Amino acid sequence: MKKSYVIKRIIYAVFIFFIVLTLNFFIPRIGVDDPAERYYPPQGNMSELEYEIIKQFTREQYGFDVSNFQQYLNYVSDLLRFNLGVSFRSGSPQVITLIGHRLPWTLVLSVTTLLISLVIGLLFGTIAAWKRGRWQDSLLLNASTISVALPAFFIALMVSFYLGFELELFPAYTNPNMVAQFDWSWRAIQVVMNNAALPIMSMSIGGIVGYSQSTRNSVIAVTNEDFIMTARAKGLNHRTVLYKHTLRNALLPIVTSLGMSISGLIGGAIIIEQIFNWQGMGTLFLEANSTNDYPLMMGIMLFLSTFAIIANLVTELFYVVLDPRVTVGDKR
Amino acid sequence: MLKKTTVLIMIFGLVLLLSGCTRGDYERRYDDSNTLYVGVVESSFPIAFMPWLSRDGVAPTISSMLYNTLFAYDDDTGDFLPVLADEWYYVDSDGLPILTADGAIDYERLEAEGLRQIMNPFAGRMENYLTVKIMLNPDATWSDGTPVTAEDVYYSLDIAKNNYLSNHAGALAWTADLLHVYCNMGILHLQGVFTYNRGAAEQGYIISEDERDHVVYIHVRDVLGAVTSLFTTILIIPQHIWQPVVSRESQLNSRDPNADMLHRYQNPVGSGPWMLNIEASGPSMIVLERRHDYHMTDDDGSPLYKIDTIKLILYQDVNVAIYAVLRGHIDLLHSSVSPNYARLFEGRDHIFVSESDGIYVQTLVMNVNPESGQRNPMRDLLGDVDFRKAIALAIDPDELIDLVANGSGQRMSAGLISERLTDFYNPDANILGGDQHDKVHEANQILDAMYPEKDRSGYRLLDGERISFNILGHPGEIELISFLEIQFQKIGIEVNYQAKGSSPETTFLWTSNFDMTIHGVIFSLVNVDIMLNAHFVAMGRTSNYGRLANPELAAGIHEMRRTLNLNRKYELIYELQPLIAAQYYKIPLYSANVISVARTDRYTGYEVIPGSTLFSTANLQTITRVNDQGGHS
Repeated sequence: MKKSYVIKRIIYAVFIFFIVLTLNFFIPRIGVDDPAERYYPPQGNMSELEYEIIKQFTREQYGFDVSNFQQYLNYVSDLLRFNLGVSFRSGSPQVITLIGHRLPWTLVLSVTTLLISLVIGLLFGTIAAWKRGRWQDSLLLNASTISVALPAFFIALMVSFYLGFELELFPAYTNPNMVAQFDWSWRAIQVVMNNAALPIMSMSIGGIVGYSQSTRNSVIAVTNEDFIMTARAKGLNHRTVLYKHTLRNALLPIVTSLGMSISGLIGGAIIIEQIFNWQGMGTLFLEANSTNDYPLMMGIMLFLSTFAIIANLVTELFYVVLDPRVTVGDKR
Repeated sequence: MLKKTTVLIMIFGLVLLLSGCTRGDYERRYDDSNTLYVGVVESSFPIAFMPWLSRDGVAPTISSMLYNTLFAYDDDTGDFLPVLADEWYYVDSDGLPILTADGAIDYERLEAEGLRQIMNPFAGRMENYLTVKIMLNPDATWSDGTPVTAEDVYYSLDIAKNNYLSNHAGALAWTADLLHVYCNMGILHLQGVFTYNRGAAEQGYIISEDERDHVVYIHVRDVLGAVTSLFTTILIIPQHIWQPVVSRESQLNSRDPNADMLHRYQNPVGSGPWMLNIEASGPSMIVLERRHDYHMTDDDGSPLYKIDTIKLILYQDVNVAIYAVLRGHIDLLHSSVSPNYARLFEGRDHIFVSESDGIYVQTLVMNVNPESGQRNPMRDLLGDVDFRKAIALAIDPDELIDLVANGSGQRMSAGLISERLTDFYNPDANILGGDQHDKVHEANQILDAMYPEKDRSGYRLLDGERISFNILGHPGEIELISFLEIQFQKIGIEVNYQAKGSSPETTFLWTSNFDMTIHGVIFSLVNVDIMLNAHFVAMGRTSNYGRLANPELAAGIHEMRRTLNLNRKYELIYELQPLIAAQYYKIPLYSANVISVARTDRYTGYEVIPGSTLFSTANLQTITRVNDQGGHS
C-alpha cells in the first residue's frame, strides 16, 4: 500500500472531521438569538426582570455568555479532552457518559445483525448467482421485492405482535430489568440474547436480502469476466474458480457496502429500538430530540460522524488491500 | 464445500434462534405481592428526582409521589385539603385569625382588617400584603425518619426566591406573590416567611414553644389566589439534606452537579407517601415503595394507600404498551390512549376502560393586535371583532369532535369555563351553539357586508387579494387544521398549516409573528387568578399571544384578582365569561376526553377522574388487590 495514499486519506479524514465538527457547532445556533431562551423558556407570569436573571444564570452555566467564536474555541478545546458537554436532562449527566451507557446495547443489536446479514447474505447471494435463473434465484428476487415494500419498523411491529405477544415465542419487548441487572453472568447473557432475538430478526431480514442481492449481482458480473473464462479454460476445478477467483473479486462492492454498514452501526435503528424498548443509541437520540437536549444531540451527531469518518477511512484502506489498482489514481 | 457451509450456517442460525426462543419474562404474571405494574409511554425515565429539576414526561408525577405540597386543592369546591399542613388562615395585625364562628375565612373582615402595607425596597414602593398562618402536621416525617418542620417550609420558600442559590424559573413564577424578596447577590431585602427561629416574634407573631416547629407565617400580596400556588405547587424539600451542599457554585438545581449533589438528586428524601427503591430501579423501570410511616391515614386509621409497591415500566411505543395491558404484562397504563384503540378493548375480560372529561381545551387563537413591525393588511382583519365572530361561527364543533377527536370529546363554552364547574359556569357565555347551517349563514352575512368580492374559487378578496391566513401548529395538529381549512372554505376564507417548530414562543408567539395558532388552555379555580391575566391581559412573554387589549375585560380581571371577598371573586368569574366569549379571541374548539385502560384481574376499585388517567392520586387511594376483596374483579 502506498504510504502517500494512506497519509492523504488520513489528512482528508481529519479535514472532513473538522468540517463536521464546525457544522455540528454552528448549525444548532442558526436562527437562535439566545440559546438560553431555548433551554429555559419563560414559565408562568414571571416578569421580564426575573426572566433576564434566569437567562443570565443559564448563559453562565452553559458558557453562552461569551462570543460564538470563543464558544467554538472552548468547544474544540473540550473535545480534545473528550468532553462532549453536559446534557440538559435532570442530574446533568455528561454526554459521553450517556453515550457510553447506550453504545454497547446498540452494538449488541447492530453487530449481531451485521454478522448474520453478511454471512447469510453472502451465502444466499452466491447460491442464487450460481443457480442463476432457477428457483433459488427467483426466490431471492421475490424476497428482494417484498423486503423493499416492507420497511423494517413494519416487520418489527409484526414480529413483536405475532411472535412476541400472540405466540409468545420470544419476548415482545425488552425486559425492563435487563440493563439494570446485567452482570456478565451466563444467565444475564442469556437474558440479553433472549431479548435481542426479535429486534435482530427484524433488522436482519432487510440486511440478508440486501447482501444477497448485491452478492448475486457481483458474482454474476465477475462470472462473465474474461479471467474467469480463462481460469475455466485452464481446467481449474469448480471450487477453485468460485472461491479463489470469482468470490474474491466479487467481494469488492460488498466491502464498500459493508464499510457503509459499519459506519451506520452505532447510529442504532431508531424505530426498532423504540418498538422493542431497547435502550440504545437510537432511543437516546429520540430522547434528546423530544426534550430539545441540544448538547446531547450535538454529542451524538459528532460521535456518529466521527465513527462514520473512521469507518470510511478503514474501508478505503482495506479496499486498497483487496484491489491494489485503487492507488493508481493516487500516483497520477 | 458450499453445502457444508450452508449446513454450518443453518446450525448457527438455529442455535441463535433457539437461544432467543423463550417466552418473555413478564414479572406481573407470577407476582403475588401487592405490586401495581404501570406502563408509561415516554421516551425515557428521569435519572434525578429533585423536584425542581424534573420537568419532563413522568418526572413531575413521580416528584409529586415522593414529595408533598402544603395542601391539595379540590378543584370542584375550591377547598384546600390537608397534606403536609393541617390548617391555615389569614391573621389580622394582632396575629388573630380572621375566621367566622364556624371556622371559615371571614372575607368581610379580611377586606376590612387583613390588609397591611410595607415598603418593598427592591421595587421601591409600598405594597399591600396579607399575613397567612400555616400549621404543619406534627406527625409528618421525611423518608429518612427526620420530622418535617417549619424550618423546611422556610427553606423551601426562601430558596425558591433566592436566585443566588437556585435557578428555577417555575419556582419564581409560583412564588411571585410571596413578599419575600432577594437581590441578585443573594441578600434578603424583604423577609416574607417567618418561623419561631426566623423572626416571627419581631413581627409580633406569637409562636409557643409547643408549636415552634410547626407554625409558619407568610406575607403575600393582596390577591386571594396568591396562596393557591404556594400551597399546592411548591413541593417542600428537606433543609437538612440540601442546605449543607447548596452554595452559589453548586446551586440547588445545578446543571453541573458535584458528586454530593448528584447523590442527593438520585437518592431523594421526600415527605410523600412513596419512596424510591433505587436498587430495583433502572433506565426502563422505576420502583416506588409505600412508606409505612406516612403521616396521613384513611378515615378508619388504615394506610391511605393500599398498594405496597408500584413498578413503573417504560414503553417507548404506545402500540406495544397497549398490547402489554391486553396481554397482562402490566395492570394499567398511565398514558391516555387514542379513541382509535377503543375497539381493541371491546369484549375483553378483565379490562376496564375509563373515558373521562378532559380539562384541557384546544382553542383557535387569533393575532388580534400584532406589534407594529408584524402588522399587515390580512392580520389587521383579525382586529375586527365582527370578522372574528364570523370565523368562530363557521366552526362546527360537533363535526369537529366526530372527525378530529374521533367522537371522544366535549364542546366547550366560549367563556372557556367548563360546564363541570356547575357553581361557576355561566351559560350566557355559550354563544357558539345553535344550528350550524344558521351559524354559517350568519357568518356569511357578516362577511358579505364587509368583503363581498370573491375570486373564482369562492374565496373572499381584500383589495384584489385572497383573504388567507396561516394557522401555526405542530404536526399532530395537521388534521385539526385541515378540518378548519374546510370549515373556513364555507365562508370564503383560506387557511393553511404553518409549522410551529421547536420553540414557537420565541420564534412566533411572543414576537407577534403569526396569524392564528392552536393553543391548549386550562382554566380552573386553582389557576384562574394567574391564567385569566396571562391569557387576556398581560402582554409580552405570556399566553396572551394575540395581544388582546380590551380595557373592560382587563379591568374585570384585575378586579377579580384583587378582590379579597371570595364570593365577589366567584361572582366576577361568572360575570367575566360572557365578556371573554364576546371577544371571539380564543375560540374553543373541543376538549378531548381522556381514555385510560386498566386490568381488573389483580386490582379493583378504579374510579373515573375528570382530566386524569386511571393512574391518579385519587385512584391510588381507592384501588385494592383483588384477593383482598374476596377475589372479585
